[in-house]
Amino acid sequence: MLAGIDLDVAVGRVVALHGPNGAGKTTLLRLLATRLRPVRGHARVLGHDVVRQAHDVRTHVATLPVYGGAYGALSGRENLRLGVALRGGGEDPEAVDRALERVGLIAAADHLVRAYSSGMRKRLALARLTLADAPVWLLDEPYAALDEQGQELVDALIAAARDDGRTVLVASHDLPRSLATADAVIEIAGGHLRVMARPTRATAVTATTSAPVDGEGDA
Amino acid sequence: MNDLHAVLWIARKDLLQESRSKAVTVATVFFSAVTLGVLAFAFGENPLLMREGAMGALWVALAFAGVISAAQSWQADLEDGALEALLAWPVPRAAVYLGKLLANWGLMTALGFVLLPLAGGLYGADIGGGAAPGGDGETAPALVVTVLLGVIAAGTLGFALIAVFYAGLTANLRARESLLPVLMFPVVVPILLAAVRASNALVGSGDLDLAWAWLRLLVGFDLVYAVVCLVLFRFVVEA
Repeated sequence: MLAGIDLDVAVGRVVALHGPNGAGKTTLLRLLATRLRPVRGHARVLGHDVVRQAHDVRTHVATLPVYGGAYGALSGRENLRLGVALRGGGEDPEAVDRALERVGLIAAADHLVRAYSSGMRKRLALARLTLADAPVWLLDEPYAALDEQGQELVDALIAAARDDGRTVLVASHDLPRSLATADAVIEIAGGHLRVMARPTRATAVTATTSAPVDGEGDA
Repeated sequence: MNDLHAVLWIARKDLLQESRSKAVTVATVFFSAVTLGVLAFAFGENPLLMREGAMGALWVALAFAGVISAAQSWQADLEDGALEALLAWPVPRAAVYLGKLLANWGLMTALGFVLLPLAGGLYGADIGGGAAPGGDGETAPALVVTVLLGVIAAGTLGFALIAVFYAGLTANLRARESLLPVLMFPVVVPILLAAVRASNALVGSGDLDLAWAWLRLLVGFDLVYAVVCLVLFRFVVEA
């Protein structure tokens, strides 16, 4: 349950959401990804309302779910091709291979995902994220299940996304990494927000508590 | 994106998964064969009863196999948050439904085509041999078989329309296995009745006129269910 949230994230910013289990980080990301509907209040992504213009929101958002979100009976390459096709991208096997290469999965590209480790599944989800070419990224626990090299890959992808002008929201328990990569770190606790770090780089982010609503934010 | 393109990709995904896991194929073929065998045993040694019950037994087997097929088709989507990821993409919800419907219908129709001669042989019903007296004797059996295959295609389509819809509705529920048949069978009864009547008219007496009448009703139900399911499906998967 989110309440009293009033959040604006400027285009091109990287904002980390930090907080204990059950604080509402995933709820906020799912709401922005149109997978949850606010009971009260509203949320917009690049000006599109998440309820009334859900399809427009989805065209501008790429998500990294906490679980891999891949089909186990398909290979890594087939999963990526499916994702590209359903996002409206054309057939581009080379782009898929480049994405697999980037996340270190090219050798396992034709293996079924059900044989992947949890870290490999997360890497596959990262590859799908980069292929989406969306201006807004919503990352739920991107460092979970990854080894040190994989975590550095996430940092590099976030840095590249910032350079490309993407807006990135990262829900993570890894506070040191959040502090190192994000323009602002916002703590969610009890459904409320509090800016907790790097205010000089967080000028585009404001977080206040107001009259309780179930979710409100612009990304 | 092209919605038809999305439909075909989703159907391809489901069929590709099935071709590797064989979960639906094994379960439905085994279950259908057992159903046909048990019902044949129950009808006993009365040849007339056997012949008249052949198409009913076929549709009972197809109906229960269809429930298994539809429930299983959503199972793979629920693993590892795959459906959640898919629904976060800009894919029209109708395309998700139609893709899954296409795959499910294809599997059920193929099963029906396999079971038809099996039921005919097991129950002593001459498929195509019941052509109306006075037919030309050469083309009438072929026409009967063709219409019979059409009845199976139309019947399984109607069944799959409802089964995929309700399987999606109950996919996230803990009691989905028990809820799915309870919810869908009352709705799908008209489809089954029309399919059984049309099949019986063809196999029993080769009465094409009667079969056409039931087939038209069957197609009518298919159209109504298709429109209703397409309109309502987004409420099934949306938050």
